[in-house]
Amino acid sequence: MKKILLIEDEEILINILEKKLIQEGYKVVVARNGVSGLEEMRKNKPDLILLDIIMPIMGGIEVMEEMQKDEELKNIPILVISNSGQPIEIDRIQKLGAKDWLIKTEFNPQEVVEKIKKQFI
Amino acid sequence: MVKILGYQLKHQQEIKKYQEDLDDLRLYIQDFTAFLPIAVCAITPIQVIIDINAAFEKLTGFKALEIIGKPWNELFLGEREIEKIKEKISQKTFIESQELILVTKEKKQIPVSISISIRKDEEENLSGYFLSITDLTTLKKFQESEIIRTKERLAILNILEDIENEKEIAQEEKNKLQAIVFNLSDGLLFFNNENILKIFNPQVEIYFEVKEREVLNKKISALSGFYKLNFLLEFLRNQPERIFREELKIEENLILEITSFPVSIETGTLGKLVILHDITREKQIEKTKSEFVSIAAHQLRTPLSGIKWTLQMLLSNDLGEITSEQRDFIEKGNKANERVITIINDLLNVTKIEEGRHLYKLTLINIEDVLQEIITLLQEVAQKKKIKLEFKALKEKLPQVEIDVEKIKIAFQNLIENAIHYTFENGLVTISLEYVKNEIEGIKFQVKDTGIGIAKNQQQRLFTKFFRSPKAITMETDGSGLGLFITKNIIEAHKGKIGFESEEGKGSTFWFILPILKQ
Repeated sequence: MKKILLIEDEEILINILEKKLIQEGYKVVVARNGVSGLEEMRKNKPDLILLDIIMPIMGGIEVMEEMQKDEELKNIPILVISNSGQPIEIDRIQKLGAKDWLIKTEFNPQEVVEKIKKQFI
Repeated sequence: MVKILGYQLKHQQEIKKYQEDLDDLRLYIQDFTAFLPIAVCAITPIQVIIDINAAFEKLTGFKALEIIGKPWNELFLGEREIEKIKEKISQKTFIESQELILVTKEKKQIPVSISISIRKDEEENLSGYFLSITDLTTLKKFQESEIIRTKERLAILNILEDIENEKEIAQEEKNKLQAIVFNLSDGLLFFNNENILKIFNPQVEIYFEVKEREVLNKKISALSGFYKLNFLLEFLRNQPERIFREELKIEENLILEITSFPVSIETGTLGKLVILHDITREKQIEKTKSEFVSIAAHQLRTPLSGIKWTLQMLLSNDLGEITSEQRDFIEKGNKANERVITIINDLLNVTKIEEGRHLYKLTLINIEDVLQEIITLLQEVAQKKKIKLEFKALKEKLPQVEIDVEKIKIAFQNLIENAIHYTFENGLVTISLEYVKNEIEGIKFQVKDTGIGIAKNQQQRLFTKFFRSPKAITMETDGSGLGLFITKNIIEAHKGKIGFESEEGKGSTFWFILPILKQ
């Protein structure tokens, strides 16, 4: 069973994604900010990370920067779920090695699942 | 007898002696009158000439034989004056310096002044006149030239006065101009044709922390010691002669917008004017605004995503079966939510308009790589709509171009997305890149679709803000009408060209050319 770490601060989105992912047969670990996200990934070694960008305490960009410095975390695939989708932000995300990104308002949970599935092919 | 003879002889001798004396006197008088530079003649009481001197002959051209016996007045013009003179002299009045016109033998008219004296015998009876004629030609000429000279002098004085007035006006204009230049809120520099700095207004002093007196009348090459100012000069050196609103960041809190152009008058170029406009504040506001919108959009989008995802979960039965009535309501709620999302996206796009106008970071890059990235990104969108997205691979390597990569990505994305959005299922979108060298040397990007096309009467308004054709609206409800406007701004900021060809119902081809700028 693939393990997915969901780093997201919006409770309703956590609820929805958790429910959807479990339904699809994944094991889900949730972190509500960047700092606990890093802790969880060190502890749980997830197969994929769903990462929000704007979060309290530590944002998604900083999480990715931290992961780049860590040999063990560096290669975990990341799917960014963002709200802004500004070209500058997307560019930064890609440079930091995100596998894919999506803008929350433009996708629905089913499409998120499809993007995840794609990563595991 | 002897005595008589002796007396007669003596008498004769005396007469002879008198005659000799008389002859001497005549010769003397002749010599004397001949020598006289003034033309003189003797006139009988009936006013005919009986004798003339050499000067008279010379002046009138008449020989004594030709003129003696003729009335004096035949020599002159002006009947009325002559009548007056005649009357006066018959009443024994002297004539002094009366101006008349003398007609010579050659019919030449000469201005003269005549004087007439009255001769009387012992009994005070009129015995004749002396007439003297003075040639006034030289004097007249002199007078005329004197008049001309006076006129000229007056004219010169007038000119001088005019010049003085003009000078005053010019000075006043100069003062005005100086005051304007001095008080202008923009910085102003002027270099003459010899590259010598001639204007350096107080604003520039503030920008570069250099005093006018330190730099004025110096050659550009002598200004390299002023670090900040030199930064501007270096920038200008690498720019074309004419630039319009180019941004230059001098330091963190000084961003200038630079306009520079040669100043010409009818007779040629005077030099180069450089206008500096401080846009630091605008830039900060722009940045703040962009950040604000980004945050606001995030704050609004997050709950909207929550609603969207929840409704989507319900609709896809992830949370259990729902009744058809429940589905109907949820679908309506979902639609309303989608509309709000569109509005938020439009709001974000409005800030993107501004992005088109200014280039932040220019990089020399292989444009094919940038395009490839965007195509990969949009391949998915195309697949979703069952549209074939094709990129014709290049045979040869293209030259690199200097672009703001982020901006060009937006331009690529906008045009390709449009092609996908406005093409029906199973349609074809073809993308190509090529090197062109027509009116501009550059790289031409082209995207061709088999979509709905644009009606002729809509084509003119295509690049205007918020314009959406009625057909486009029915096909794609989401658009904001900003994409092409933003794209045009971006391409023009790169000094490129954008255009399209389209036929309603058949498809459109959009293209732009990015120039290869030669240093």
